[in-house]
Amino acid sequence: MAPHGTAMNKILKHAAFLVAFQMGGATAGWCADLVEELSLEDLTKTEITSVARKTQSLASVPAAAFVISADDIARSGAQALPDVLRMVPGIEVAQIDNGRYAVTARGFNGRFANKLQVLVDGRSIYHQTFSGVMWEHDVIALNDIERIEVIRGPGAAIWGVNAVNGVINIISKHSAQQAGGFVETSIGTQGKLGLYGRYGGALSENTTWRASVQGRHAEPSKQFATGTDSEDRLESSLFDMRLDHRLGGGSDLAVWFNATRSALGDLIRVPVAPGGVFTENSRQSDASQVLAGRYRWLTAAGIESSLQLSLNSSSIELEKYFREERKTYDLDYQGRYTFASHDVLWGFSHRTSSSSAQTPGSLISLRNHDVTQRTSGVFVQDDWTLIPEKLQLGLGARWDNTNIGGSTFAPSATLIWTPSRVDTLWAKYARAPRMPSQGENNVTMWTNFQPGGASVFTRVVAGTQTLRAEKMEGLELGYRTQLSSGFNIDASVYRYRYSDRISSERGGLDASGFPNVIQNVNICNCSAGWVSGAELSADWQVLPVWRLQLSYAWTRIQMDEATDPVVQADGKQTEQSTPHHHGSLRSQWNIAPDRQFDAWLRASAGYQRLNAPYTEMIKVPGYLTLDLRYAQKLGKDFEVVLSGRNLVGPTRIEYVSDYVASVPVKVGPSLFLSTRWKF
Amino acid sequence: MAARWHSLSSRLFLLLLLALQPWGHAYPQANNESQLKAAYLVNFLKYVDWPEATPTATICLFGRDTLGGYLAPYETRSIAGRELRIRRVTGPDQMGDCQLLFIPESEEARYGAVLRWVERLSVLTVSDAEIFTRQGGAIALVRAEGRLQFDINVAAVSAAGLKPSSQLMRLARVVIGAAK
Repeated sequence: MAPHGTAMNKILKHAAFLVAFQMGGATAGWCADLVEELSLEDLTKTEITSVARKTQSLASVPAAAFVISADDIARSGAQALPDVLRMVPGIEVAQIDNGRYAVTARGFNGRFANKLQVLVDGRSIYHQTFSGVMWEHDVIALNDIERIEVIRGPGAAIWGVNAVNGVINIISKHSAQQAGGFVETSIGTQGKLGLYGRYGGALSENTTWRASVQGRHAEPSKQFATGTDSEDRLESSLFDMRLDHRLGGGSDLAVWFNATRSALGDLIRVPVAPGGVFTENSRQSDASQVLAGRYRWLTAAGIESSLQLSLNSSSIELEKYFREERKTYDLDYQGRYTFASHDVLWGFSHRTSSSSAQTPGSLISLRNHDVTQRTSGVFVQDDWTLIPEKLQLGLGARWDNTNIGGSTFAPSATLIWTPSRVDTLWAKYARAPRMPSQGENNVTMWTNFQPGGASVFTRVVAGTQTLRAEKMEGLELGYRTQLSSGFNIDASVYRYRYSDRISSERGGLDASGFPNVIQNVNICNCSAGWVSGAELSADWQVLPVWRLQLSYAWTRIQMDEATDPVVQADGKQTEQSTPHHHGSLRSQWNIAPDRQFDAWLRASAGYQRLNAPYTEMIKVPGYLTLDLRYAQKLGKDFEVVLSGRNLVGPTRIEYVSDYVASVPVKVGPSLFLSTRWKF
Repeated sequence: MAARWHSLSSRLFLLLLLALQPWGHAYPQANNESQLKAAYLVNFLKYVDWPEATPTATICLFGRDTLGGYLAPYETRSIAGRELRIRRVTGPDQMGDCQLLFIPESEEARYGAVLRWVERLSVLTVSDAEIFTRQGGAIALVRAEGRLQFDINVAAVSAAGLKPSSQLMRLARVVIGAAK
């Protein structure tokens, strides 16, 4: 280990030297006043060597909103979507292995964190069996993303159920922007390979299309405890197509077809009575096909309408333990009408999702093997300008009904005050429901093992009654300002109350197999608590060619005391499972029109997690680490990129997986070499 | 493995060090792209004739305001003999006294509606997405070849009753909508 540490120290010195060089190399930039004096002809000749800034202050956006541009994605050096999200204040990202991530906004992180709504071009990719997103399953290639809009805090009034702690809206590039060909290849340490190819064209003046393919591969990570190989070999492939047709008069048609497939191994830890815990490889295979269409039109009266239909067929297999086939049909209508002081948005949505599941083996069993869930919702939102350019009131309400779980109501109110052109203050109150997943309603699963004179196996038992939706209610205050033409700050604080949160309480004890004892715990809506937090982001154009971005978040969870010991333990574990602080600092430097140098410093406090399936807590250490990226253009259409991730700090774990429990793996340094070619 | 890693990392950083060379430019560099966009909006007011003489020239910003702070330094200045005003607008009722309307790319979904609202008004419509002029907008600010340039839809400018100067036409990267 000493030689490795020495290498780390040298890298750290190199990094420090580079940062110092950046500071020392500062030269006087062209000042703002001179831009104001430029003539039109001068403007057309001015080189944009400055770092592109599409994540500027969105002064009128009523929420803690953060926009990630396509350029931000390219310059992050990230290989997977969750790693891109690390730059957003208030989004917690923890890497579990080569493909799996735990991602949440404002608390309650989990392998399938269930309070975050994620959409791709308006389609929810929230998985109903697990109430969460399977991040290992690429839903869109990073090169095809136009922007990612992240709204932290409850967004249920418009975005629907499960938008409890936030909404991540991924918007793909219009196919007219992706004409011609593009190929990206990448090779990295740990046997990582990536290939992306795209071609786009026009069928007519009004019809454009784009098709892209992506493949990713990674060799297994190392187990944290022993350093030997784990089982998380990753194979991922994606085919994505988009067609856009402009109809005139403000109408257009977009069609998407997307097919993805991934296979990712896992070294899972299974409690088996009698005997204890067994470790074995269970390969997870996912496949998904989506066909979606969106028609937007403008009526003579000026009503803007959008109708979107999508069909999704997906399957997931957890080798030896779980298989599921699912078909989902979505219909979404949204209308918008702006008149006088009002901007009114309304909509209707319906989803029918049918699944058929099998559970060989005894780890998991299902109450129902075939489930069809139908969910319908309507919403209305009015943004009311009380004082033009100064005061705006937003009122929203949403009703949803599902055949499993009943009805929910989600109101929201937002007040936005813009005392000056560069200042915005807002206050937002909202309520949001989180529908229980089919897994929570349906699954009985062995989860924990506590060795001892009497070895206790814990089994989570699906309840006989359908679970109610979790409830959340809370307030957010925010302030956004532009201190100078190149310096923006965005800050928010929030406090949320959760009730009817799903947990489990002590059930019957089965001692017939003594010394192996089975403790059943029953899933229930029996937990409640508070989450408080603060977030800060700053964006500073230090020089024309140098930009710094800071993000920071503080989160605290306080669960109520509970009389039931299992609920109480779950509450304590939840409080300890949240890092109180995390943040990042990004530097983007355009050394020259053909050269870019980017640095990304990331930090997180440590926290405790249940070492599933065992019952003791394990320390997940905090970290400070650095990513670097250097890009060089060779000619007009070819680019070479060198990037390194996690270059400083000790090798670490970022997460311990609970459902399904698996052996923690190391997160450590990696290097990538990429080529990008446009033709 | 440690030795190879060390060697690889050293080479990576040596390469990065070699890359850190100063670079000169023939043209001035803007502090940022938004400043350039703001400067363009102000300049467009100098190179377009409106049918009615008004004491003020008003730039209206629609939707998510990303340029307001960058336009603030220009406010109350005299542009082509008129006092410059900056306003944020959210609906059709507020656009009657706009000379120029900027619709950011992030409001792309609303191009159709907003262009409909100003259909009968003498308003110069500008956005920062290339697709804007093809959807009937007047001017699109486009990032091309490392510069911020602009495309003009002549038909849209004429339909608004506006008259672009010959210099504006000459400097445009692309002109569409010209009558045959």
